[in-house]
Amino acid sequence: MTADEASSVATSLERPERTIDVRGLPTHMFEAGASSSPPLLYLHGTYLGNLWLDFHRQLTRHFHVFAPDTPGFGLTPRPDWMRDMSDYVLYFRDLLDTLGIEKAALVGHSLGGWMAAELAVWYPERVEKLVLTNSVGIRVKGSPIADLFAMNAQEVMMACFDDFSAAAPLMPAEMNVDYLIGQYRQLTTLASLAWNPSYDPKLERRLARITCPTLIVWGEHDRLIPPIYAEAFQRAIAGSEVVMLSGTGHMPMFEQPQEWSAVIADFLRK
Amino acid sequence: MNKLTFHYFHLMPWPHLPPDFDENYDSAWVTLPNTFYDPIKGHALYNRYLDEIERADKLGWDSVIVNEHHQNAYGTMPSPNIMAAALTQRVKRARIGIVGNALPLHDDPLRVAEEIAMLDVLSGGRIISGFVRGTGMEYFSYNINPTVSRERMDEAHDLIIQAWTRPGPFAFEGEHYNYRYVNTWPRPIQQPHPPIWLPGTASMETIDFAARHKYPYMTVFMPMNQRKRAYEMYRRVAEEKYGYEAQPDQLAFCTPVILGETDDIAMKEGEKYALWLFDKGLKVRPEFFVPPGYMSERSLKAALEGGGFGQKRTFKELVDTGVVIAGSVDTVIEKLSYYTDVLHANMLVTGGHVGEMPDYLVLKFQEMMAKEVMPHFREKVTQTAERPAEVVS
Repeated sequence: MTADEASSVATSLERPERTIDVRGLPTHMFEAGASSSPPLLYLHGTYLGNLWLDFHRQLTRHFHVFAPDTPGFGLTPRPDWMRDMSDYVLYFRDLLDTLGIEKAALVGHSLGGWMAAELAVWYPERVEKLVLTNSVGIRVKGSPIADLFAMNAQEVMMACFDDFSAAAPLMPAEMNVDYLIGQYRQLTTLASLAWNPSYDPKLERRLARITCPTLIVWGEHDRLIPPIYAEAFQRAIAGSEVVMLSGTGHMPMFEQPQEWSAVIADFLRK
Repeated sequence: MNKLTFHYFHLMPWPHLPPDFDENYDSAWVTLPNTFYDPIKGHALYNRYLDEIERADKLGWDSVIVNEHHQNAYGTMPSPNIMAAALTQRVKRARIGIVGNALPLHDDPLRVAEEIAMLDVLSGGRIISGFVRGTGMEYFSYNINPTVSRERMDEAHDLIIQAWTRPGPFAFEGEHYNYRYVNTWPRPIQQPHPPIWLPGTASMETIDFAARHKYPYMTVFMPMNQRKRAYEMYRRVAEEKYGYEAQPDQLAFCTPVILGETDDIAMKEGEKYALWLFDKGLKVRPEFFVPPGYMSERSLKAALEGGGFGQKRTFKELVDTGVVIAGSVDTVIEKLSYYTDVLHANMLVTGGHVGEMPDYLVLKFQEMMAKEVMPHFREKVTQTAERPAEVVS
């Protein structure tokens, strides 16, 4: 075990969290991994902020991982003016500046994948490599993504997980009013970004501007964002490659943290 | 002043739901297949409903009211202004209310300003213009972002009032609505503009908005404890924040009224027909009912702490909690008197027809209401200096 790996094991036992100020926005984030390792910015999906799990820790073996709570999710508030994707693209550029990261590997899941793709389009000089996993952001006509807004908690779980035991970290200790309000607040953030349209009509064309190496990772049973979206991203991003993970769906990092992180680490270290 | 004014409210529901509706359909809104709508039956139904409203006018209701709902069986008037236009040709005396147009659902609220002005001119100045946000379900049906619903409501309201009252042309510079030329032709007859009503389901924001503008606030299908809270809040906000005393004609209540020869008959008929409204017409997935951002967090919290959404209630529970009024003439008068004498709310908004109720029962309701209930609340004609005493019977 190297010294770097030892330090990441040590931090894995706790929540390596802190709150930083991003242009006045108090941003809750996790940071772990050797500072000498290449930086990796992980952008989570809806409802998935304020989590530090096995898949994050796997990535810290090779990377200096930064996992912020996107404004409006987890413990980072969303100011009222943050209402569309351009606000988030600027925010993440500011976050990189605040952290002093010139260039990072970007890994985005679901809504976070959309944000990562936009960031790579607008600030290619800040993105070393890009990984989109089970991502939204574009539209494939005739293959709509599931209407998350119309689904109850159970239906969301059914659509997202093949293996319900992997959803344990998302289960609240108590299903009380405060929890429900918190969920509603997060869904409201998603709605402000993606009620209509639920994608960026210009993104698919703009993806051609991405020149950094790009990996698209999907769970083959994704019932929220059908795997045909992986193909569409691949077609739009020159030279990108797709890895389809079997036996999992929208949440491969929960259900297969080893495989998912190995695929990503291998790609990023190539 | 009359102790109570009577407003004949019609939803124009589509009662012919499939026999397996209860078991196999989770919503009468958004996703209920429109193949269950039969346009030929719909033709007869629309005209039956219009006949009914015309009778309400003749029987002495103060106004007749239609409203806007989309893609559902609960109320089949996606364009209430079209219905109001038809009513201007049938209803000759009563006011005609549209309560209301769902402003945030429309990308062009100037159209609402124009149509209401047209209706006001067409009706000779008899229009009541309600404004609503639309139900949560309609944000799905129209794919309007619910997170900006309240902002669009406030802004569309300001635009429409200005369109009616400011000499045009002028520019309207909003966050959601922008016009270089606001210059509505025609302008409404009523000055400064047709009366505005705001129906609500007790959200504090709507009550504040109504109180600020001195618009009547209408509690819709709420239990009595919520209605009381809403009226108390309206009064308090009016007095403490806006510096005036709210009057009884600012407090309206929309409630189904089932009137029978005896309490027992009313309860039986209510159970048979009025439950349709709650168990079928308002059967909605909770996710449709409260889309993200549609309610403020504090209103949602209050709703969740109050028991949440969509619990099934028996007809007796609906009556006992004050959502619905049912009973004999005496009972109904007693219950309405609670509103007038205790709550000081003097606008009753109720229709005769609910669900699958046959027309003869609607007619019975209308006649009993007009002949036996209304007179109790009407101002007694009193002697005046202008009138010879012998004219007054």
